[in-house]
Amino acid sequence: MTDIATTLTSTPKRLAGRRAATFGLLAVLAGILLVPIGLNDEFVYHIFITICIFAALSTAWNIVGGYAGQLSLGHAVFYGIGGYAGVMLANLGISPWFGMFAGAGVAVIVAIIVSYPCFRLHGPFFALATIAFLEVFRVLALHFKEFTGGATGMMISLNIGWEWMVFRERLPALVIAFGMMLVCLAAAWVIRNRRLGFYLVATRERESAAKAAGVNTVKVRLMAVSVSAALSAMLGTFHAMYLTFIEPEAMFSLEFSIQIAMFALIGGIGTIWGPLLGAVLLVPITEFARGALGAEAIGLHGFVYGIVLMLVVLFMPNGIMGLLSRLRPAESARKETEAAPVAAEPRASGRTDAGEAVMRVEGLNKHFGGLHVTNDVGFTLREGEILGLIGPNGAGKTTLFNMLSGFLKPDEGSVSVRDAVGDWQHPASPGEFAALGVGRTFQIVQPFAAMTVEENIMVGAFHRHAQVGDAREAARETARRMGLGPYLDLEASSLTIGGLKRLEVARVMAMEPRILLLDEVMAGINQTDVRRAVDLMLSIRDTGVSIIAIEHVMQAVMSLSDRVIVLNSGQIIAEGEPRSVVSDPMVIEAYLGKEFANA
Amino acid sequence: MKLTGFLTTAAVSVFLAGGAAAEVRFGALYPFSGQLALLGEESARGAELAVDEINAAGGVQGEEVVLVRGDAVDNNQAIGEARRLISREGVKAILGTYSSSRSIAASQVAELSGIPYFELGAVADEVTGRGLKYLFRTNPTAEHMGQMIVEMIVEKVAPALGKDPSELRIGIIHEDSSYGTSVAGHQERFGKEAGLNIVTVQGYPASTVDMSSLVLDLKSQEVDVVLQTSYQNDSVLFLQQASEAGFEPGAIIGGGGGYSMLPTAEAVGTDVIDGVLDVDFTQYAVDTSYTPGLEEFVAAYEAKYGESPRSGHSLNNYVGAMAVLSAIDKGEGFEPEGIIEAVKAIDIPEGKTAAGYGVKFGENNQNERAKMMGMQWQDGKLVTVYPAEAAVGEMKLGQ
Amino acid sequence: MEIFLQILANGVMLGGLFAIVAIGLTLIFGIVKVINFAHGEFLMVGMYLTFLLTTGLDLHPYIAAAAVVPALFVLGALTQRFLIQPLLSARDEHVQIFATVGLSTALMNLALLIFGADIANTPVHGVRSQVQLGPVRVLEGQIWILVAAVALVIGLQFFMKRTTLGRAIRATAQNRAAAQLMGINDRLIYVLTFGIGAACVGLGSALIAPLYPASPTVGTYFVLIAFVVVVLGGLGSVAGAFFGAILIGIVDAMSGFYIGSDLREAVVFGIFLVILILKPSGLFSTRLNQSHVSP
Repeated sequence: MTDIATTLTSTPKRLAGRRAATFGLLAVLAGILLVPIGLNDEFVYHIFITICIFAALSTAWNIVGGYAGQLSLGHAVFYGIGGYAGVMLANLGISPWFGMFAGAGVAVIVAIIVSYPCFRLHGPFFALATIAFLEVFRVLALHFKEFTGGATGMMISLNIGWEWMVFRERLPALVIAFGMMLVCLAAAWVIRNRRLGFYLVATRERESAAKAAGVNTVKVRLMAVSVSAALSAMLGTFHAMYLTFIEPEAMFSLEFSIQIAMFALIGGIGTIWGPLLGAVLLVPITEFARGALGAEAIGLHGFVYGIVLMLVVLFMPNGIMGLLSRLRPAESARKETEAAPVAAEPRASGRTDAGEAVMRVEGLNKHFGGLHVTNDVGFTLREGEILGLIGPNGAGKTTLFNMLSGFLKPDEGSVSVRDAVGDWQHPASPGEFAALGVGRTFQIVQPFAAMTVEENIMVGAFHRHAQVGDAREAARETARRMGLGPYLDLEASSLTIGGLKRLEVARVMAMEPRILLLDEVMAGINQTDVRRAVDLMLSIRDTGVSIIAIEHVMQAVMSLSDRVIVLNSGQIIAEGEPRSVVSDPMVIEAYLGKEFANA
Repeated sequence: MKLTGFLTTAAVSVFLAGGAAAEVRFGALYPFSGQLALLGEESARGAELAVDEINAAGGVQGEEVVLVRGDAVDNNQAIGEARRLISREGVKAILGTYSSSRSIAASQVAELSGIPYFELGAVADEVTGRGLKYLFRTNPTAEHMGQMIVEMIVEKVAPALGKDPSELRIGIIHEDSSYGTSVAGHQERFGKEAGLNIVTVQGYPASTVDMSSLVLDLKSQEVDVVLQTSYQNDSVLFLQQASEAGFEPGAIIGGGGGYSMLPTAEAVGTDVIDGVLDVDFTQYAVDTSYTPGLEEFVAAYEAKYGESPRSGHSLNNYVGAMAVLSAIDKGEGFEPEGIIEAVKAIDIPEGKTAAGYGVKFGENNQNERAKMMGMQWQDGKLVTVYPAEAAVGEMKLGQ
Repeated sequence: MEIFLQILANGVMLGGLFAIVAIGLTLIFGIVKVINFAHGEFLMVGMYLTFLLTTGLDLHPYIAAAAVVPALFVLGALTQRFLIQPLLSARDEHVQIFATVGLSTALMNLALLIFGADIANTPVHGVRSQVQLGPVRVLEGQIWILVAAVALVIGLQFFMKRTTLGRAIRATAQNRAAAQLMGINDRLIYVLTFGIGAACVGLGSALIAPLYPASPTVGTYFVLIAFVVVVLGGLGSVAGAFFGAILIGIVDAMSGFYIGSDLREAVVFGIFLVILILKPSGLFSTRLNQSHVSP
């Protein structure tokens, strides 16, 4: 993510770039307000009011479409609800200043009802669902004439004055539009720079990793959608008052919904200021192009518009913000010596007696179709122990992990975790496991690609620290400990595989788990890294954390584990001291075949 | 900021371009792009021809009329363009708009700015139903359409079918946008007042690809007279699917839109369209003694645009613009109050305009003499059959 | 009863119409994983091509299909190669959707520029003549559409299961990375699939043109319904799309008669939403294809 105002480091060059960006942003905002006032021309006022409305709507959309990554092409539903609420109430003699909030309230309720079931759907499917909702709303608005006026629409009576948001002169309308735009931008800025924003982006990038980090992905998305819907509805109210006339065709329009999203796309999806820049640039160009091309031939303007859209998408898929970020000085790795992983300080309090059970697994059974993936698996994990989990490919290790962290529900059996005060709990969802202090990594690394290394770790750190500052501090601390210190400002996607594995562990470590599930964190990394990882895990164990580690690197398993469980075809075939387990003929047979076992 | 500079330059250059001597500017606000472009453009041509004619005869109060185009592609745009015309182009009045919703949106702007707005083509009631001071409408409306259709059923269709009007089973179907809905509403209201038996009123989206269920519904309800208000695609679909389902009501009466357009007739074929009735703005196969100036209008149209008028919209906009501009010519000055005074004095009797209807603004500044005409497709042509003074053919029904 | 049967027949015929549009879309949607918002405009282009060929060369519309199908294949292949493929690596999958929206806008307005907003009527050549099937009446052209849709389903099933290219397409659809490892040129597969999908709607357009007048916006209604059908049938399932289309056709026709023609769209989209939410893998999907649904 490239946000002008949220750069983190402070080299002089970067600081200068940041200052320039802030100045540019203020200039744009001031321009929106001052140009029309300076020119004092009704048409210029109209264009700038339109800019404000679109920039605000697009910014609100971006909270869902950008941050949360849920492509809504039905956002006009909320805008329309706000418009209708405003006009209906205004005609009952209630000021749109109140109508605005009534509309926002209804929009939030609708948003939650509509979005909740749809969040299971990804990408195109979510988009289609929102389009379908939009169509249903439009048809219903046409059908229920008694309430909505049907196809002929509704008008407001021309009561002039602030309380009715209708003005003879244009300045007050601009002031309101500008103010609402600032509110939207502020909301977007606050969300992006708080825990919610990190959680949203994390959920967008890797939903399962976000869940593992204790993010309630449904809740954060619902919050995003609610804020977005409320803001859109309020803008709808204002725009309805500005238009003085609404109809279903215009208020619940697919074309309009796409347009809102388009400004964000062209400005830079998922960035704070992109939608603003998109609207500032595009609205005037569209107006002038319409004037220049519209009269030439019917359809020419639309044709050029479509072509330009395709070209923009092809050649600047990250939008204007993407272009701007290329102008900024390149992000260089910090000149900080790479510290070897050091042991974390032992946790002073809350530590129970060593050797006490912290997780009990009993009779786990799981079937995938006809396949019995885990068969009556049971064991106990003790505090401060490292339990190695080995077995050939397809033995069911990762499936077992998924059940130990709430990602899969066992068909039979139970997983119980002892909480900090010593009571046994039966968590069911990834969120509940995370809340009890169970952290996990994924065999296939799941970095939040669009976030920096620091931000990645912060997602984990938010589990214990609600404030951004504290979480950042904790994340930096963890990163340093994991040897990721020099890479804090790099995008996660630019790390090597070894780096990504460490990042995976760092994110979990930042959650300060009591039980750590590590899924092949050593696979594919070099010898030095393996040795470092072993040291790291031992040092983590020494702080009182219990670890279950799936590993293929035998050397590591042997030197690490206090105890080893061998899984084959979903069953535990051996359990005990590392030495004794590897000499077990059944284990050798499982790994190497019958001949070897008998040899 | 570059953008600011650009805007300033653009604004200044436009200011300098305006305001040449001895010309007066009027706005022409129509949808010139987007879905409604075809008939928006057609409507604007009527206003342009009126301006040409006025200018050839010496202009308005000795000043040449310049028509400045504004593109009202959607409601927000209609507002923006109205603002531009008023503040930037300095127009003395705005002519428009074809589309009712654009008209409603833009005229609110004109009202707040105190600039007269002359609606020459939009049919929805709400255009004039708001008590605006600066808005005038010359054309007949959805109400006139509904009224005339019901009148035609009572006076002509029922006798031709050999039934009492109250015995007829009437089915009203309409596309579900503002146009179809408001016409259908008036058909229902006037129909009930006239004691007609309306058995069903059904809306449908104009973009539909199938109307067979609707046809079967009408058929099973034994509807005698179908009133359809529709665009082109749905007119074609209904006529085709009705004939294919063997549904042959005593009469089908269209409410303008697709029913007045030649491509509709070509699409469904002469055998299907023949006998179908239509109520709409004045069209071209009409008794020209009732519509003086019609032939000259068509000649001027063909000379300027190199083709025949594509619909009656241009004619109606022409008639409205002529009435308004001639009145302003007789008035004094271009101040809003002066213009209003001038147009309120208009008193053109029926049978003296190229569209037949007279012009006199009554309640809500609606032209109280505006009238639609009844037509019938005969041998692939849309022939005026109602009222008698404008008719060039006899209504043929029930054969 | 007779009316019910007639509505049923109309629904099935309407379903055939939806099917022939949706089959191409389900290929593109299911295999290339792109929402092609320009699919309706592909139909529109095909209908105008048919219109030009039939009026210009006085061909029967079905014969014109011989030219329209390859033309649409090329259009589809070019779209994939030059519009979608460069975006496959884009960080945000949304941009592909906007690319097709841009294409849709451009094509629609190009048609407006060339042909104007008026409808264009393809000569009928007898396919509008009525056929009496027991108690119900349908059009000859509608039967041909249904036959063509069935043939397309069977043909594509055969193609997908029995030919090397078809297998490669299926492999790519199931696991792109694995297919790549097996030496399949996935980019070429996507280009071909997009082409085949567009060619299917090309066939549809030649069959539909004599029954419905062409206009620049003719595709917009079809494309939304086609998406409903594709989701209903299960992603990428050609047979599913066919049955989904028939089902939606019947629901559409029935609700138009029994509920009211102004609400039929709401009924269709309502059903769509219910299925999307309750069974997002589609009504007719046999294989587990839930990649778009969170666990």
